[in-house]
Amino acid sequence: MREMSKIIRNVTNLVYGFIIIFGFYIIVHGHLTPGGGFQGGAVVASAFAAMLISYGQLNTKKFLNINIFSLLESCGLTMFIGVAFLGLGTTFFYNFLANSGSWFGNIVIPGINAGDMNTAGVLPLMNIAVGLEVFSGLGIIVLLMADGAEYTKKKEKAENDR
Amino acid sequence: MNSFVELIHITILIITIFAGLLAVIFKKLLPAVIAASAVSLLLSLEFYLLHAPDVAIAEAAIGAGLTMAIFIFAIRGTK
Amino acid sequence: MKKIIFVIAFIVFFSFLVVSAVNMRPFGNPTFSEMDDYFIKNAQSETGANNVVTSIVFDYRGFDTLGEATVLFTTIVGIVALFRRITK
Repeated sequence: MREMSKIIRNVTNLVYGFIIIFGFYIIVHGHLTPGGGFQGGAVVASAFAAMLISYGQLNTKKFLNINIFSLLESCGLTMFIGVAFLGLGTTFFYNFLANSGSWFGNIVIPGINAGDMNTAGVLPLMNIAVGLEVFSGLGIIVLLMADGAEYTKKKEKAENDR
Repeated sequence: MNSFVELIHITILIITIFAGLLAVIFKKLLPAVIAASAVSLLLSLEFYLLHAPDVAIAEAAIGAGLTMAIFIFAIRGTK
Repeated sequence: MKKIIFVIAFIVFFSFLVVSAVNMRPFGNPTFSEMDDYFIKNAQSETGANNVVTSIVFDYRGFDTLGEATVLFTTIVGIVALFRRITK
């Protein structure tokens, strides 16, 4: 797939880093502000899609690797299930870190407050796990779809030449 | 104040229906895809006005971003 | 003939939508609100998260999120298996 026009490439150059940072902000602050793992992962994957559209798939593949994405996705799902299993002393999916005073365990004052990053027990860990899985999974989907479009085009051209 | 919010809701929904109609009417493929993503973007604005910011973020990222990207890949592949 | 069927189907679905839109409750008045009141009252002190939606999605209803993550994983495995000949 060829590149798009110069305007689109320049705008993507300016904007894609900020989109990725915003997506990771949504993932990490999932227990304080609206959003969470799925939403933040979708935002990061949309930055990858913008890169892929404006630069073409041959240029993008130099720094986005499908194998690394696949590894990250498996790590995300395994981390999610692992954190769920860690609470098995009481039940599956038990929030064993909340209000305990250790990691992510500060006690929250009920009511409207400014928010503390170091609260909410296992919820930030699960947010990070799901966000890892979602952004790498949607990135794999977008990369493979671009590959498939290129493959179909090449095949049709070869059939036309014959 | 209440009637003002209702007016905004009605305006956004009318523009959404108009954009959906444009997505069907357009003969060229790229403007039709952009109109379909505009439907998704306006729908996410409506979700935000109905006090559901989580759904609004997911709709804006997936409906307006990734779906349009995949449609554009399909258009580029057939041309 | 085809157009008549289309018009009849359109009128039926449109009347369904209009009837359900007329019978809709006002915004912000659910029928059963005991569970919602429990979540709004206790979620912050029990899970320690300010965002009640996240505490429901990842703590109270964790199995739903596990199913969602598994569905996404299975989808991506299927897509990678479908495109395996292209990426080689």
